[in-house]
Amino acid sequence: MTKIATARPRRGISPAIAVLTSVGVGLLIWQSAVSLAEIPSYVLPAPKAVWAALIDGLARSPTERASFWFHLIDTLKATVSGFAIGAVLGVVFAACMAESRLVETAALPYVVGLQSLPKVAIAPLLVIWLGYGTESKIAMAAVLTLFPVLINALAGFRSSPRDRLELMIALKASRFQVFRFIRLPGALPMIFAGLNIGIVYAMLGTIVSEFTGAQRGMGVIMTQMQSVSDTAGVFAALVVLGCTGYVLISIMRLAQHYVVFWSESTLREIAQ
Amino acid sequence: MNRAANILATKNCSDRADPLLSVRAIEKRFRTKSGDEVHALNSVSVDLADGEFVSVLGPSGCGKTTLLKILAGIVPPSDGTLLLRNAPIVGPQAGMGVVFQSSVLLPWWTVLENVLLPIRVLKRDLAQHREKARELLALVGLQGFESSYPGELSGGMQQRAAIVRGLIHDPGILLMDEPFGALDAMTRERMNVELQRIWMSTGKTVFFITHSVSEAVFLSDRVLVMSKRPGTLIDDIKVPFPRPRNVDLMSTAEFGDLTRHLRHALGGGEATHD
Repeated sequence: MTKIATARPRRGISPAIAVLTSVGVGLLIWQSAVSLAEIPSYVLPAPKAVWAALIDGLARSPTERASFWFHLIDTLKATVSGFAIGAVLGVVFAACMAESRLVETAALPYVVGLQSLPKVAIAPLLVIWLGYGTESKIAMAAVLTLFPVLINALAGFRSSPRDRLELMIALKASRFQVFRFIRLPGALPMIFAGLNIGIVYAMLGTIVSEFTGAQRGMGVIMTQMQSVSDTAGVFAALVVLGCTGYVLISIMRLAQHYVVFWSESTLREIAQ
Repeated sequence: MNRAANILATKNCSDRADPLLSVRAIEKRFRTKSGDEVHALNSVSVDLADGEFVSVLGPSGCGKTTLLKILAGIVPPSDGTLLLRNAPIVGPQAGMGVVFQSSVLLPWWTVLENVLLPIRVLKRDLAQHREKARELLALVGLQGFESSYPGELSGGMQQRAAIVRGLIHDPGILLMDEPFGALDAMTRERMNVELQRIWMSTGKTVFFITHSVSEAVFLSDRVLVMSKRPGTLIDDIKVPFPRPRNVDLMSTAEFGDLTRHLRHALGGGEATHD
């Protein structure tokens, strides 16, 4: 007889309390390190100072240049537009490459070449071409979104099971019908995997572009704070960016659950 | 009952009438990735009469599935011709429905949307066929599951939906490639009874691939036996049992004699089960 393992009610603290405790202890260590080791505030500001900077930046009217909102709106606009452009281009290019050997062969040297290039390095070039406005930021975000979406979508379009394709052949389906009914929906889980990476990269591209040269944006206010050694302000800006990124990723996850609810990997996630 | 008698009657006359589908000296050779030439099918010829249920039995890898794919127009034959009502055909035909080993339902569509796929692809009237789809789903016992997703159905239910998809565009011939191979023995037996009922009420010609001798005998008017590769037809046996048949038939002596004969034809019964 083998002993049957039965589920036992989990003892101990709930996850919410564990998270709060962990964050609380972290902040406590941070605060005591700053006050006990007398670290200068321009190296590591105290949590209280960061909090004050955060409240100050958020409480100001969005029309003020010192307001986080003034800059965040611009960063968000560029991130979302760049993401949209990069995502659409990525899926369209991938579809063309999956449908045509010729297009694929022609595009391959560029894809391989650009893939091995650290793409943020073209930010200065984009500023030269497109100026200090939003355009260069959008372009950077789009370029960074494009590649993960392209690569994942291409793999998705290619991975149609043979029996689904044979089903369509037996029905004398046109190439477009095969794409519309089989390849595209079948690729959606992979496309979303690319989009989830893409949204993070889009924000990264926007910020880097703002570091390089822009008039507005979180990257701009951060370089300004850096130049006056406002370290608490830089920390506060990072908190804002972290929260924004979290919101963007959550929106993507939500869209994924809504669109590819049928995919096995999505079903697994829902079950958890 | 009447229906069954009719079908039998049609079948008996059709021996003299023109066949619905004629397979004439089909050959298939292909090259594997390593460059070896494989002779898969060797001069396969057979006639299917209107409304007839014909099974093909054969050891694994004998080319049964290849033969079905050639009939479905999925792969071209290397040589030979196919005649549909005496007219040569090349490639896929709307007059044929295919049911595969796995159900091949699209997970992003509901059962109803899935069974309507052929209607969409063939650009026929969707609204009109939606009603027909509901009727067919009811016929296979899937009423109430129209809006379910394939992932929510059992294997047997998925295959029923696949059968409806094979029938929705009203093809004259239904090609079935071991449709119940992945099901457990009990579900399989139930599906055999169901398929007989569906076949009797639709009057389709069915070309059914299987490696189960008892399944072939239970379902068919005729059982064809295929040899090992290169596959060719080595036996063609009429199954005389009246319809509708029920599972008790399988324990009769006559049924046993026929399955024994087929196992011998297959080569000592080594490659079969059930």
